[in-house]
Amino acid sequence: MNEGPRSERPAVIGDEPNHTPEETLALIEAQRGRAVRSLYVDPAMILGAWGVAWLLGFGAIYLAVNGWLGTVMPAWAAAVLAGILFTAAALVTFGEQVRRGRGVQGASRRIAAMYGWSWLLAAVGLLALDLALEHQGLPSGLAPLLWTGSSLLAVGLLYLAGGMLWDDRLQYGLGVWVLVTGAASVAAGVPANFAVLSLAGGGGFLVAAGVSRTRGWRSEQARA
Amino acid sequence: MTAERALPNLDSVIHAQARLRVTVALSVLPAGDRVTFSRLQELVGMTAGNLSTHLRKLEDAGYITITKAFQRRTPVTHVTMTKAGRRAFEDYTAALSSLLATPVQGSDGERR
Repeated sequence: MNEGPRSERPAVIGDEPNHTPEETLALIEAQRGRAVRSLYVDPAMILGAWGVAWLLGFGAIYLAVNGWLGTVMPAWAAAVLAGILFTAAALVTFGEQVRRGRGVQGASRRIAAMYGWSWLLAAVGLLALDLALEHQGLPSGLAPLLWTGSSLLAVGLLYLAGGMLWDDRLQYGLGVWVLVTGAASVAAGVPANFAVLSLAGGGGFLVAAGVSRTRGWRSEQARA
Repeated sequence: MTAERALPNLDSVIHAQARLRVTVALSVLPAGDRVTFSRLQELVGMTAGNLSTHLRKLEDAGYITITKAFQRRTPVTHVTMTKAGRRAFEDYTAALSSLLATPVQGSDGERR
């Protein structure tokens, strides 16, 4: 004879098994979705923030530099708007990375930290290089092309690196697109370069954000 | 134990609801990474006492490693899933798939 009391009631909360395979599957999927959303940055959000910054930031500068549409807005307003948008996108990116990585340690976080520092180091390197060239008598008409062209080269290469690090074709493809956009913008010359940066650059980021959204949240991670 | 109520061929260490949730959450982390106890608690939404109990059972089965360290004089507990744990969870999902008409698709839960 069995003593009834201990067979029916588990001693620990949560010790009871799931009853059907379907319920078990539903539990796995719910918990996996919850963990993925908590642990991983939503790439669509980051790409979207940069897409808006490029589209409106470079768009505003184009509208301020007497392009095809004439001078539609004052230069200071365009500079302020672009500054705010790019700073906001950088803060969103940085904040998300820090928030998602809380309490996690290991190779993946070291890779993410080195990648983050790579962006900062690239920015410092570009600043030093471009300022030195201006200081040594770069014709002032070329300055906007130097700054944007060299920046896009660095951005494109860092996206190629991101694609390699996380085996992500979307990031790699975006890197290629940014390199092409950078070269095209310099070839277009001032002021058309700003239209290229706004439409092709910003558009590229927004398309990537859309692709990422339809593809799912860090789908390659969840499949592992 | 509760093995008589479990489905056949499913690892009873993982099959309990709370331990399954913990196992799934740990399996989402990149292999080899470790997570603090409090962050894991946040990921699965369990009380500290309840989580500790289930972690101990997973540790006894060799599916996780628990390490305690001090960070600025505060004790911090880290949890890592072992290779055996990852393999056990893979076997578990494979066994579950065989019980289902439609197989388990790992990426199904991530649509957004």
